[in-house]
Formats: sequence, C-alpha cells, structure tokens
Amino acid sequence: MDIFNIYLPVAGIEFNILLLLAIGFCVGVLGGFFGVGGGWIVTPALNIFGFHMAYAIGTDLANIFGQSIGAVKKHQKMGNIDWKLGFISIAASIIGLELGSQVVLILEKEGDVGSIVRWCYLVLMFGLSILMFYDYYSLNPKKKKTEEAKPTKRRVNLAERLHKINLPPMISLPASGIKSVSLWIVIFVFLFTGFLSGFLGVGGGFIRMPALVYLIGVPTVIAVGTDLMSVLFAGAYGCFTYALKGRVEFIAAFIMLIGASIGAQIGATAVKYIKGYGIRLLFAIMITLAGCSIALEQVYKITDIPIFQHIAGIVLMGTAALMTSIIIVRLIMESRKEVKD
Amino acid sequence: MSTKKIFALLMFCILFTCAYSTSYAISETGGKQETAISKKIDTKNLSGVNLWIADLYNNDRLLYAIVVTVVMALLGTIMALGTDLVLRYFGINVSKISHSE
Repeated sequence: MDIFNIYLPVAGIEFNILLLLAIGFCVGVLGGFFGVGGGWIVTPALNIFGFHMAYAIGTDLANIFGQSIGAVKKHQKMGNIDWKLGFISIAASIIGLELGSQVVLILEKEGDVGSIVRWCYLVLMFGLSILMFYDYYSLNPKKKKTEEAKPTKRRVNLAERLHKINLPPMISLPASGIKSVSLWIVIFVFLFTGFLSGFLGVGGGFIRMPALVYLIGVPTVIAVGTDLMSVLFAGAYGCFTYALKGRVEFIAAFIMLIGASIGAQIGATAVKYIKGYGIRLLFAIMITLAGCSIALEQVYKITDIPIFQHIAGIVLMGTAALMTSIIIVRLIMESRKEVKD
Repeated sequence: MSTKKIFALLMFCILFTCAYSTSYAISETGGKQETAISKKIDTKNLSGVNLWIADLYNNDRLLYAIVVTVVMALLGTIMALGTDLVLRYFGINVSKISHSE
C-alpha cells in the first residue's frame, strides 16, 4: 500500500491517500444525513493513524466547512432549512460555547478536567440514546396500532409544553411549522446546547439536532438541515482560524473533501427516503456505539492498558462504516422503488 | 422587549464574548504567539505543490488561511455539483419534500 502514501508537508508525516478518501466519504454521508459535522469521527480517526491532535482538529474543521456547502444546498432545495431558527441558533450557540469553555478553564485550575469532561460526554451520549430509543419505541407504528383501540389520553411532549410558555416576545417559525414560541425559550435552548459543546469541546451537531427536535419541536429533516447550516458557519470560522494558526494540513483536507463532498450529497439525498423516526433511530444507534467507544477510551485512561484504546478506535471506525453502509443501502433500495414506480 | 431589541442584545453579547475571550487569551499567553503560529516547514526536500504550500505557510500565514478557506469552499461546491449531476443521471433527483415524522 506504500504506492498510495503521500507526504503531507504541514503535518510532516506520510499518509495513505485511500484512507483519507474513505474517512472523508464516511463522514460526508453521516454529515449529510444526520446534520452533524462528524468531528467526533474524523479527529480521533486522523489521530489514531498518526496525525498530531492539533492538526487533526484543524484539518477536520476545513473538511467540515467544504462538505457542508453541498449538503446545505441540497437540504435547501428540499425545503429542509429554517433560516430564521438557524441564525438564532448560531448567535446563541456562540455565547453558550464561550461560557462552556470558560467553565472548562476554571475547572482546569482546580484539577483534572479531562476526566470530568469525558464522564459528562458519556452521560450525555447514553442519555440521548436512551431518550431517542424510547421515542422510537413510543412512535413504533406496530405498537401504535395496538394502542389505537385503547382510549388513552394523548401524550403531550416536552416541545408542546415549552410552546405553551407565554413569555414575550413570541415568534413564529413557519418553515418548521411552529406557530408561536417564546424567543427566550429558543435562545435558552441554544445557549444550553452551545454551553455543552463548549464544555465538551465538540462541534455540537449531535447535541443540537435532538434539541431542535425534542425541545423546540422542529420536524426531524428540518432539524437536520438547520443544524447543517449552523455547522457550515462554524466550519467556515474554524477552518479560517485554525489555518491562521497553522494547524490545517491543506493537502489532507483537500483529499478528504473529495470523498466527503460525494458522501455529503449521498447522505443528504438519503434523507428524502427515510422518515423522521427512522432517522432518529439510526442516530440513536450511532451515538450509542460512539458512546461505547468513548467508554473504552475512558477505561484506557483509568487502566492504562493500550488494547482498550485500539478497540475504541476500531469501534469508532466500525460505527462510521456500518452507518454509512446502512444509509447507502437504504438509498439504493428506495430510489430503485421510486424509479420503478 | 421586542424581537429586534433581543437580537441587538444578542449581537452585543457575541461581540463582548469575542472581545473578552481574545483579551483573556492574550493575557493567559502573556502576549506571546503560540508555537504552531511560529512553526516553519523545512522546504529542503520539497518540490512542486508541496513546496508552494510550504512557502505560503512559512511566508504569509494570513494568505495561507485565505487560500485554504477559499479552496475548500470552491472544491466543496464543485464536487457537490458534480455528484448531483451523477445522482440525477441515475434517476435520484431531489425537490421540495413533505416532512413526515
């Protein structure tokens, strides 16, 4: 495989070009489909294969920026972006993010912040996956059919309860089908998700997407599109600022983007064929497996046995490959049906 | 409070946050630049595109950042258009969709 190795002058290492294309493609499909940046896959993947962490983050951000452009365009074409909500999300998230990173700085002075952050990360990931699995179970069409016969009181979800809070000014979000919601509630939700992403040191797509669905009541596909819009702006800023600091490996980002752009188009197109609860189920499976990978990483930090770190890497890459395969297979199956019809 | 006033307040908070974090970062590092900023690539054994990138990186970091950002945007757009054409060729086209949960 040496013939596929290229020298990357900024990172100062040799890297396999096929591996870069494969990582880019997987993260592109997942980004376009779930509306996430995918930094939690790319950064550790590049790091595992020899990138210094600082270059892995910078290169990942450059790739996220490039791949989001096409995905956002496609979601816009499908009417999946709520621009008004997206701009509020960007503004409030920046402030929340800064607050979160300030808390990390304060905790850093007190002691080992890394461990606290990883535990919080784990709780958040498994908590989110439990919530989404429960949501899928309660929306399961088979279960619904059996329950239809019983005259039960309709379950009021959290978003509906939040919509009832009358705290002026009230805004409407027609693109998301929301007639009236307090602007303060929307700002608070994004401040909170921004705070979490600043505290955990992640882009926050995987936190914002469920928050849009469960707290603001946005339909899943619009949550995916709107979240991608925030990811695009964050990626643009991150790409420029990291490049300015000399932490973007230009050639690696360029090659990865070739795979990621193709993947992002495929992922964004697949959204058309899978219903909201199906997207949420796949998302729940993905964050559960990613959570397992982080748990293994945590075990490695505690025990210092390298095998756990290797398994964590394999689980992470396996998760990305598995989810990518599922999305592509579904896309092919559903589009064939459509062409036949 | 009107929506416009809240947006103005939000923008003020963002500007304040940016200014504060910049001044905090400068005070924490004592005004010194980070090591990655002052890093230089050894160009002795480089040629072609690698040499061009290394020179750009070493000589003008702002231009390097602009080139990286613009190239990423252009490549992202071109690849998206190309992939879209290929998908359309195979009959996979997208238009406005209905949102079913």
